[in-house]
Amino acid sequence: MRKQNKATLLNHYSVWKYVLLVVTIIIMLLSALPTFYGEDAAIQVSKEAGLKLDPLMLHQRLISAGIEVKRIDQTMGKTLVVLTDSSQQAQLKSLLVEQVKTPSEVTLTLAPSAPNWLLSLGFSPIKLGLDLRGGVQFLLDVEIDPVYQLHNNTFVEATRQFVRDESLVGITVQPQAGGSVQISASDSRQRQKLRQFIAAQYPHWQVTNSGLNALGVNLSDSEKVNIRDLTVKQNLQIMRSRIEQLGITEALVQRQGEQRIRIELPGVQDPAAAKSVIGATASLAFYQVMQPGALNSKVLDSEKDGPVSVSRRAVLGGEHIVDARAQLGEMGLAEVVIHLDRKGGKIMSGFSRDNIGKPMATSYSEYSRDDKGKISQSTEVISVATIRSQLGDRFSITGVGDYASAQQLALLLRAGSMTAPVTIAEERTIGPSLGEENIANGFSALALGVAFTLLFMGLWYRRLGWIANVALISNMVVLFGLLALIPGAVLTLPGIAGLVLTVGMAVDTNVLIFERIKDKIKEGRSFAHAIERGFDSALSTIVDANFTTMITAIVLYSIGNGPIQGFALTLGLGLLTSMFTGIFASRALVNWVYGRDFRRDVRV
Amino acid sequence: MNVIKMSKLTKARYLSSVLSLMIIISSIGIIFSNGFNWGLDFTGGVVTEVRLDSHIKATELSELLAQHSEQEVSVISAGESGRWVLRYSQVDAKSSTDIVSVLAPLSGNVEVLNSSIVGPQIGQELAEQGGLALLVAMLCVLGYLSFRFEWRLASGALLALFHDVVFVLAFFSLMQMEFNLTILAAVLAILGYSLNDSIVIADRIRELLIAKPKMAVDEVCSAAVKATFSRTMVTSGTTLITVAALWGMGGVPLEGFSIAMFLGIMIGTISSISVGTCLPELLKVKAEHYQLAPISQTP
Repeated sequence: MRKQNKATLLNHYSVWKYVLLVVTIIIMLLSALPTFYGEDAAIQVSKEAGLKLDPLMLHQRLISAGIEVKRIDQTMGKTLVVLTDSSQQAQLKSLLVEQVKTPSEVTLTLAPSAPNWLLSLGFSPIKLGLDLRGGVQFLLDVEIDPVYQLHNNTFVEATRQFVRDESLVGITVQPQAGGSVQISASDSRQRQKLRQFIAAQYPHWQVTNSGLNALGVNLSDSEKVNIRDLTVKQNLQIMRSRIEQLGITEALVQRQGEQRIRIELPGVQDPAAAKSVIGATASLAFYQVMQPGALNSKVLDSEKDGPVSVSRRAVLGGEHIVDARAQLGEMGLAEVVIHLDRKGGKIMSGFSRDNIGKPMATSYSEYSRDDKGKISQSTEVISVATIRSQLGDRFSITGVGDYASAQQLALLLRAGSMTAPVTIAEERTIGPSLGEENIANGFSALALGVAFTLLFMGLWYRRLGWIANVALISNMVVLFGLLALIPGAVLTLPGIAGLVLTVGMAVDTNVLIFERIKDKIKEGRSFAHAIERGFDSALSTIVDANFTTMITAIVLYSIGNGPIQGFALTLGLGLLTSMFTGIFASRALVNWVYGRDFRRDVRV
Repeated sequence: MNVIKMSKLTKARYLSSVLSLMIIISSIGIIFSNGFNWGLDFTGGVVTEVRLDSHIKATELSELLAQHSEQEVSVISAGESGRWVLRYSQVDAKSSTDIVSVLAPLSGNVEVLNSSIVGPQIGQELAEQGGLALLVAMLCVLGYLSFRFEWRLASGALLALFHDVVFVLAFFSLMQMEFNLTILAAVLAILGYSLNDSIVIADRIRELLIAKPKMAVDEVCSAAVKATFSRTMVTSGTTLITVAALWGMGGVPLEGFSIAMFLGIMIGTISSISVGTCLPELLKVKAEHYQLAPISQTP
């Protein structure tokens, strides 16, 4: 009686487990499908662009230009032109740019070519890394030192001003190398006053005694971190808006480490254009023109007028510029119309009201890196103009060269001015043909690997082998489905290598189980009992063996970057899915097919 | 120890252990004398892969490039004819200029397949990160092993692991194949896979030690190897097949990776049987180390 009871429970999975398994695999299959349809190059024209042609006319126009179009979608004013041949993307863009009012709203993009019912379920293809789809990748270094220097200068000037205002005698304020400021004051009452001033006005500066008659002042470490974070964030924002100006929708701009910015531009054919916009760090500033040799003045070079003496502090910096447009002025000269924010407008209108009839200089600064990797800033006065009337938040500057360079300057100003110089520390370009080649190579290796493994398992383990094969195929389906579902998961070439390795290792789970089953049958158990004992005794070994590989996958993912992360991702996910299919799915199958088989002389 | 009484398998294990020890020593020697051919990822520099008309020769390319740059430019053929890899060791204004215009006098039909510019600072950082990854992975694995197994068995798996990593590194050092980030990833993956085999065998040793406490230790190890042998062969076989597929079809970018994986998996299988089981024996692993604590009679 007892034995019979045990036998009915042996190798039995309840219905809900089968339902769970089937539903999981179906969802993953649906999620994996769009990837196999691939993506087509496309151009997106947003509603704001103001396309002058309707789809029918556009189609005829494109045919006459020799551009093969797969389809033209128009929804809610947004037009999407999908291409048959991805190499015609640049040609199509330049053609479309002529047909719109706002060229910056015409963007390169990719459109999934899976059928609509699949896409409407919310499934999308796996995102491909740059090494598979082609594109440019930049790693930018944000230089923080010049920003600290700026803070230092402000502090030194303010302290000197305080010393003058309070008529303190015998005090010198000297910036030191390494960012600290030395204030020498022999009188202890004066030192006390200075301490009070600093504590009240500059709470982020730490004051220490430096010798008997001097104070050492340093920017606190927490404030340094704070400044660095703000600077990098601001630069991120600027980079994003600059790339928007380039018209690439699927660009990735993210912070990497303390002071780096990673930019990935998929499908960009011309890295030089991207580089000139990303790498340039231009900013404008407006100065009061002073008498040569006047107090608090500095000398800036200018191409036309020779050295110009200007106030040490700028009236207004480039961070107040909201918008900038190039246009041809009354005299036919190119000029840039500048639109300031409210605060900037107030400062400018106050300054210009007080200085009507006096000259104002506009300077243009650019950071560059020399051969030794040292950052240098070059500032040049581009125009000196007399203020004729009070200026508001909108005015124009001249002396910017021809119309093309005015446009370039306007673009840079519009996208924001850099508070910290940025240099390109790493640049990688993968041509589109190489990307396609990588995909073809990677997937044919995967197909070959899968085919070999299926064949081998089928021949070696016969019927149990086919169960392992079903488990392996469902493993691939679940893995592809997961890669498409997980936000931020990117498939790279090393990632495909990880998939291929997963195929080889995924069968290990089944092999471990089958070998145990063989052992148990040799010990004289019935097939059904051997199955039960085999699965049980192999479990701890399977977990042990997979856990160590999981450790390396996690370490790789957290420390590595880009392609290496792609490898770690498929490796780690592959381990999880192979455990799911190898233990759970294959057990479900075995239970179903052989669970009731109590023969003793079975060969596996 | 009586040599005659030992089984053939035990003898084979001992012999291969001696061989493995020799491999470790000579591998370390090779690494120290030859060093590595560090790739662009670690050294920094400029690498560009271009496709030109197939009739252009390497010497023509070298001459043209030498005129444009003061530094030496290495020109390497990349598989098919007309496909070249150009490598500058330093990043400067001249090396990062547009290669298409530089090569224009030779051929108007220049296609840049890929190009990488890595600053020296980034290279340094990537090398540090890579070393860190290797170290952290080793430590984590060590922690897991000593938690899961008693230290004698764990040290066997760890020596096998060290053996495999050193062997693959020595191969790259000896052949002077480029050591880049992808190879580093392969080495880390080998770290995981090498343990896989060792752990399966160690698991079996532990099981046998518990089940048959009276059995001689060398026989226990041999029995464990024997019991897991067909699994070891099948799994290594399927993995080697798939890696071979990757080697054959994956193209140039994955070639180094597949070679490293192939060697690593192969040597990992051997080492898990040889040093992986012999070191615990040498350290006198005993059945007592795995006896369950007797359950108290009184509840």
